[in-house]
Amino acid sequence: MKKSDWLGGMSRRTALKGMVAGVAALGAPAIIRRASAADPIRIGVISPLTGAWTVYGKAHISGFELAVEEINAAGGVLGRPMEMVVGDSKTEPRIVVEQANRLIRQERVDLLAGTFSSAERNAAGPVVKSADKILLYPTWYEGQEKEYFPGVCNPNIFMFGPEPTQQVWPHMEYMVGNFGKKFFMIGSDYAWPRVTNQVTKRKLEELGGEVVGEVYIPFNTPQYESVLRDIRNSGADIIFHSLTGSDTVNFRQQFVAAGMNNDFVLWTVDDEEVVTSGLGPDVSANTYVSFDYFMSIKHPNNVAFLERFRAKYGADALMNTVGVGMYNAAHMAALAIEKAGEVSTEALRTSLKGVVFNEAPQGVVRMREEDNQAVVPSYLMKVRPGWTSVNDMFEEVQSFESVEPLAARCDLPL
Amino acid sequence: MSDIVTVAVDATLITLVLALAAFGLAIIYGLIGVINMAHGAMLTLGAYIAWAVTSQGFAFPIAVLTAGVTVGLIGLALEHTIIRHFYDRPFDTLLLTWAFFLIITEVIKIIFGTDFRNVPSPFPGAITIAGVTIPAYRSFVAALSLALMMGTAVLLYRTSLGIKIRALIQNREVASLLGLNIDRTYKTVFGLGSFIAGLSGALIAPMLSVDPYIGNVYLVRSFFVVIVGGIGQVLTGTLVGSFLIGGAETLFAVLSNQVVAQAAVFFLAIVILRFRPEGVIRPR
Repeated sequence: MKKSDWLGGMSRRTALKGMVAGVAALGAPAIIRRASAADPIRIGVISPLTGAWTVYGKAHISGFELAVEEINAAGGVLGRPMEMVVGDSKTEPRIVVEQANRLIRQERVDLLAGTFSSAERNAAGPVVKSADKILLYPTWYEGQEKEYFPGVCNPNIFMFGPEPTQQVWPHMEYMVGNFGKKFFMIGSDYAWPRVTNQVTKRKLEELGGEVVGEVYIPFNTPQYESVLRDIRNSGADIIFHSLTGSDTVNFRQQFVAAGMNNDFVLWTVDDEEVVTSGLGPDVSANTYVSFDYFMSIKHPNNVAFLERFRAKYGADALMNTVGVGMYNAAHMAALAIEKAGEVSTEALRTSLKGVVFNEAPQGVVRMREEDNQAVVPSYLMKVRPGWTSVNDMFEEVQSFESVEPLAARCDLPL
Repeated sequence: MSDIVTVAVDATLITLVLALAAFGLAIIYGLIGVINMAHGAMLTLGAYIAWAVTSQGFAFPIAVLTAGVTVGLIGLALEHTIIRHFYDRPFDTLLLTWAFFLIITEVIKIIFGTDFRNVPSPFPGAITIAGVTIPAYRSFVAALSLALMMGTAVLLYRTSLGIKIRALIQNREVASLLGLNIDRTYKTVFGLGSFIAGLSGALIAPMLSVDPYIGNVYLVRSFFVVIVGGIGQVLTGTLVGSFLIGGAETLFAVLSNQVVAQAAVFFLAIVILRFRPEGVIRPR
């Protein structure tokens, strides 16, 4: 290429003209736009659509999409339709930062919803803090500890998924009472499993139990022989399991192949419908799972919700706690906007507090005022041997209609 | 005592399973010098074909063979259309095969989706021999891995094709001057390596989650196996490399924990390469 060719034969003047026009066009919408009655309320949704956690991504985004469709069919919010602007997180915290910035600065969304893992949420924390936007976070997570600010303990982030004192604590007594006091903890090596185990240990000590082993596994580990040997020699009664993604499947297949499923009770706080489907009936049989939501719960809200969900996404589509978290987030944001009469961050921050959503698939869900944490039900399920689909996958062991979590370990109120 | 036996059994199984996963790469990279980054995708593809075939109700051995043959044919097509024009430019083959890796991974996502799949284990459960529990399917795969290597040893050292291949590695020019059909031999080796990669992917499938990234787990490890073991040392090199990368991890894990062990193994690999850049097994 000749050096003078770099503008493709364009003269300097034409090029400059083009640039000026381009800059003007970019600046224009910001000047012209003014919120009129019919302008949509724009929500930036960050979902793991590609990358390691894509398996969870489908339910994640479809939960929100379904809610938005329902809200718009009912006439929108304040007479304005809701509009989703989607950003793919690629399951990478780095990309979450890029997408959050793009959605806020270029797409000029009114608020954000999504991110999936705790690592992703913690990456979005500083962005929503400095840009002063609300983030609706749907996933079950480790709870709010001040040291992880601004990923948690952030007045701009609202938690719609359960934390350990809702997901784990209510079922500890049952598990310890029935199967024994010795826990072996195995989890993936990042914030969520580590903090979840830390919180679980507090309750376990209260009940007179002990942790006889604790390991954290790096992502994408194919071999588990040494871990399985440690578990076998530990004398544990219960394996408390917080591995994520494909590592769950790898570990559990080898756990069953070693014949250890007959000798140990396994309690997982990660394997919702999608992962359990991936495990298959042989590998998942008889394990215990706890969450705020399962497709198989009998609540009338859930029956109606699944009917709408399947009508839109097909009879075989999978829903899970995260998808329902996103669904509730959209509806509760709509309720909050309606209550406030406007869409500003300031108004949302105040009006989201205390919002009650009676039609949530898992029952009544309330956003707690003091720490932006949803109060949700809690279910302990046992995986039915020889299940054939999500409809007969889980068998209810016990449930609590509404579980108040411990107060967040932050400077309260948020 | 039984602990020592258990660790030894674990280390052996890990070594042989890793050797199986790395074997296709050892053949392609080791024998004809193509830095085959597509190896990971070939394993993944093999696993998905095994899933697709078994979920249609066919027996597992049929699934494994279908996977091997299909991936082998894809390998041949790739070799014929692209790779053969780049045999004297190894760095370019790295980029080409990497692109191929990305393409296969995306095509897999489009065809099969990104949900976790699982291939039911043909031999579920474990067998207990003298107090030591051995996972049944894993030991079957380990035995098969050994058999496959033996078979390849026979091919390389007892057949005329083997002589041709070895002549080619020793001196390409002289071999071609002596009337060897270089092109066809290269093609055979690439096809064989792809076939074994597909076969291995299918065999590994019941042990791991079948997702679009299943092969990635083994890609880096396979390269370490081949480089540490010694490039071109298809049999002993692969076994020794697999032991140092896979088996040693188990031994380290006994002394500390899994996380430290994984780091320690790669550190060990770097130290070995520093002092024996040609790998543990040197060419004679």
